[in-house]
Amino acid sequence: MGPMVWISALICIFGLLVKFILIIKEVYEKERYLLSYITVRHSLRSIIAWLIPFYPRSTRMRPVYYGISYLFHVLLFLLPVFLMSHIVLINESFNLSWPAMNDTAADILTIGVIFALVFFVLRRRFIPDVRFLTSFMDYILILMVLLPFVTGFLAYHQVILYKWIVIAHVLSGEVLLIVIPFSRFSHMITAPLTRAYTGSEFGNIRHARDW
Amino acid sequence: MEKKQSWDWNTDLKEIPVGEWKARFNWVEELNISPDGENIASVVNVDEAAFKICVNGHVGDTEYEKIWSLKSLPDNGFAAFVCADEEWTLIVNGQEWSSWFDFIWDLHITPDGKHMGFAFQKEGEYGMAIDGLPWNRVYSNMAGMTLSNTGTSAAVVQVVPMKAADVDGFKQGLFSVAVNGNTFHNTFLNIWDISFDRAGQNLAAGIRLDREAYTIVKNDVIWDRKFQGVWKPIFSNSGNVLAPVRDAGKWKLFMDNEPFWKKGYDQLWKITPSPANNDVATIVANHFGKWSVAVNDKVWKMTCDTMISDILYSDNGSCLVAVLKDKGLWNLAVNQTPWNLSADKVFTPCISPDGYLVAVVVEKKGKFHLVVNNKIIAGNYDLMTTPVFSPDQSKILIKGVEKGVYKRRVISI
Amino acid sequence: MSGNETISIEKSTDDAVENGLSRLTPQRVSHVINQVLHQETGARFKAYVDTCMRCGLCSDACSYFLSNDRDPSFSPAAKVKQTIWEMLAKKGKVSKDFLRRAVHIAHLECNVCRRCSMYCPFGIDIAYMMLLVRRICHKLEITPQYIQDTVNSHSVTMNQMWVKEDEWIDTLQWQEEDGREEFEDLRIPLDKQGVDIMYSVIAPEPKFQAGLIYQAAVIMHAAGMNWTMPASPGWDNSNMAMFTGDNEISGRIARTFFESAARLNVKRIVMGECGHAFRSTYDVGNRALSWAMPPFEVVHAIEFYHELLTAGRISIKKKFTKRVTLHDPCNVSRGRGLHNMARKIVNMTCSNFTEMTPNKEHNLCCGAGGGVVNCGPPYKKERMVNNRVKAEQLAATGAEVLIAPCHNCHSGLEDIIHHYKLNMEVKFLGDILFETMEKKIYRPEE
Repeated sequence: MGPMVWISALICIFGLLVKFILIIKEVYEKERYLLSYITVRHSLRSIIAWLIPFYPRSTRMRPVYYGISYLFHVLLFLLPVFLMSHIVLINESFNLSWPAMNDTAADILTIGVIFALVFFVLRRRFIPDVRFLTSFMDYILILMVLLPFVTGFLAYHQVILYKWIVIAHVLSGEVLLIVIPFSRFSHMITAPLTRAYTGSEFGNIRHARDW
Repeated sequence: MEKKQSWDWNTDLKEIPVGEWKARFNWVEELNISPDGENIASVVNVDEAAFKICVNGHVGDTEYEKIWSLKSLPDNGFAAFVCADEEWTLIVNGQEWSSWFDFIWDLHITPDGKHMGFAFQKEGEYGMAIDGLPWNRVYSNMAGMTLSNTGTSAAVVQVVPMKAADVDGFKQGLFSVAVNGNTFHNTFLNIWDISFDRAGQNLAAGIRLDREAYTIVKNDVIWDRKFQGVWKPIFSNSGNVLAPVRDAGKWKLFMDNEPFWKKGYDQLWKITPSPANNDVATIVANHFGKWSVAVNDKVWKMTCDTMISDILYSDNGSCLVAVLKDKGLWNLAVNQTPWNLSADKVFTPCISPDGYLVAVVVEKKGKFHLVVNNKIIAGNYDLMTTPVFSPDQSKILIKGVEKGVYKRRVISI
Repeated sequence: MSGNETISIEKSTDDAVENGLSRLTPQRVSHVINQVLHQETGARFKAYVDTCMRCGLCSDACSYFLSNDRDPSFSPAAKVKQTIWEMLAKKGKVSKDFLRRAVHIAHLECNVCRRCSMYCPFGIDIAYMMLLVRRICHKLEITPQYIQDTVNSHSVTMNQMWVKEDEWIDTLQWQEEDGREEFEDLRIPLDKQGVDIMYSVIAPEPKFQAGLIYQAAVIMHAAGMNWTMPASPGWDNSNMAMFTGDNEISGRIARTFFESAARLNVKRIVMGECGHAFRSTYDVGNRALSWAMPPFEVVHAIEFYHELLTAGRISIKKKFTKRVTLHDPCNVSRGRGLHNMARKIVNMTCSNFTEMTPNKEHNLCCGAGGGVVNCGPPYKKERMVNNRVKAEQLAATGAEVLIAPCHNCHSGLEDIIHHYKLNMEVKFLGDILFETMEKKIYRPEE
């Protein structure tokens, strides 16, 4: 593995970390009053409620989208981490290893991720209220996620131009990692924060559920 | 209160049975006790739409259709608003004022009791009446009535008419300050919190010039600086105008259009100049939700989380008392040190002129107790009003009701 | 309908909005927008903008969206897109037509009911964003006329409806006299110091619905409460400035209110059946002043009636027999979790109760709250169109009586009941309690 992988991974992790610190710093400086209302208990109550599949009413009202979206997010992390070929590469570099997913399963799940992303595109095209909200950037973001999976799938099956496909796979993965902290992908850290705050206002102050 | 010397400080206990009034009248309203504790009065109902004032068990001959706002006076008498033939006036110690109005409210009495005034409405127009005399000019709308210690009256009045819901008209500024009935030249969007100096010669108020610009006006002259908000201005002992203003997102203390304190606070209000020197105290929130007191821009070491409702100095300026609520319970803090009252209610404290003694009435679980220097010295009353220290500070006058009997007690401390 | 264009629909407007727009210069517009969006906000706002993935899950939360046949422009996130996102993208350089639409979206197409933050997986508070837009409108002086007039009234009189100080006291004295038909020694104690409860109402009560004060006085008297009402400004617990983004006046209103309670040395504040007033005194007005929580316990009528009934201070003579249903006002259900208590009161006082669905925190909005009804007659027609789902929801219950423990909800629901010919009567919980209660004075020993 080349250094770019590590550089992009570090950019991703440190970028998110810096973003997190900057948010907390700004809250301290400008909106310290928010901290008066946040409690760990109500934050966790809300976050957990929203992690239980189909528990919030909102998610039951759009079960197909929510179900696909839920699985997609799970796979987005599981697949790259438990993929045999990734573990082999890490083992070569760091002599670390952990159990890998069965290759066929991984293959099917990759198709699942690709299907989910195609579904997202179709949803953005054909559901009027989602379409109204969608801008060009939303398609770019989908494409950025799609590329590493499609190229990974093609590379595994060695359909065409194997070498080029592998390079494209590595590059698209790196681009995705680098983009995360600087785009709406950073919702992976901001969403728990907004959820925690809303959960605390609902639970701690308003004595109501927020799901 | 100069007459305190002449009060009876030698009789330990005087009693007036007030519980029996309930049997004599259809109903008895709030009890009101004179400063010297010798008189206790209430509005009582004697018949359908027939009310009288009962003082120490005695009622006069005159009945009124309505009586309200019964208040004790510094001379130990009582004043109240009364209504006869659907017209209203003030009675002071049973004597009616000569002018009658369609409605009157908001009774003001100067601390020496020499002047009295109220707001009136007559034929849909508004003004103030002071010492029996109504203003010469009346207005279509009036608010923020104020009476100086010397009997000067002032209020916010509407000087330009406005059609219903005319927001563009409102923008022009319809309000002015009327002093003894005569208005300023300037008009403003809003005027709040009229404040007089000690002599009643000068006045200041908070004003709003447009949607966003707030500032202070002193005697019809507007400060140059504009702020995001202002609270009530107060005259310092030397005649300067102090005002809490919101500037660049922080509350600051300004004096005569210039910054006075350096620090900015999350909140700052209730400017309280020391009566004895140049110290200035205010209630502040140094951080969101953390209340404290600042004296000359230095914040007290203590904070409380709920509220500070008032701060008071002793006459010699050595003692500063804060009435505060922390974790939902009322308490006092004296010169930065909180007491441990844990009360449901705390009433206005009484501080000895030398600042050594602080007395306060508190209510816990429906019973009233008297606390002096953080120790309960009398308790379990059903009602109690603000106590008074004797001129030599050796005794305290307690005024309270216990099991249907009003008790005027003098005890040594 | 993609990209950043906004759809232009003919919508109502009024003189205050139009005159305000005509006074604006491009410099002032961009200055105010940038000042509000960049200086008055912080990480919270940025996180909301950065976190929204445009998924559209919030759409189903909004009664405007549902009532308008899922018209995309009514989706909560779409309201942000048509206002905030575009203001940010254009760095505040937006047109007057854009602002006209923004006023309309923020003031008339959103009740700031916060239902959408329960439907967004990230809990983004879109109501907060709409209130930011309203703050911008306030600073640009393009707030709709009638709600602005209520704020003007607040700023002068500290009440919402230009009620003069003598009118207020006179009304209380008149209600006290009327109340003596029920109990001959009934009183509305004015400015009584050191009592347990300060009872507060919104200005429309003395102005138009004085009978509600009468009912409250009868309930207080029968329950043997030690209470008072202030005789000077600070009696009105409403706060329309909170809904126009005039945070300064909003704070002043809240301060006057709580200082009334402090002046009267009361233990707690009980308030009539009003939702937005509860939101102001319990949740919003206090924060503008650095009171993290209200400095006095603020008890909504629902909580208070529940307390009186369960403590036996009020007993029920005969239950209400007509079929009733219950509307959960956003500010006391989603805003304070009082929905279960409200149901207990209904069950204690009524024998035939039918739930409407969805309910409790998930209630559908009355369509009037958040200052929408206060924008007045020019907008009434669209308000009716914009709340068709509520009418359908009400009709499905088959109830004869609709209980709505909130003034704003009352106004809104009465309008849609009339418009959709639902033949329902709207009542407050207090109306039901007053009708069903034993009119005798509580004695602890009994």
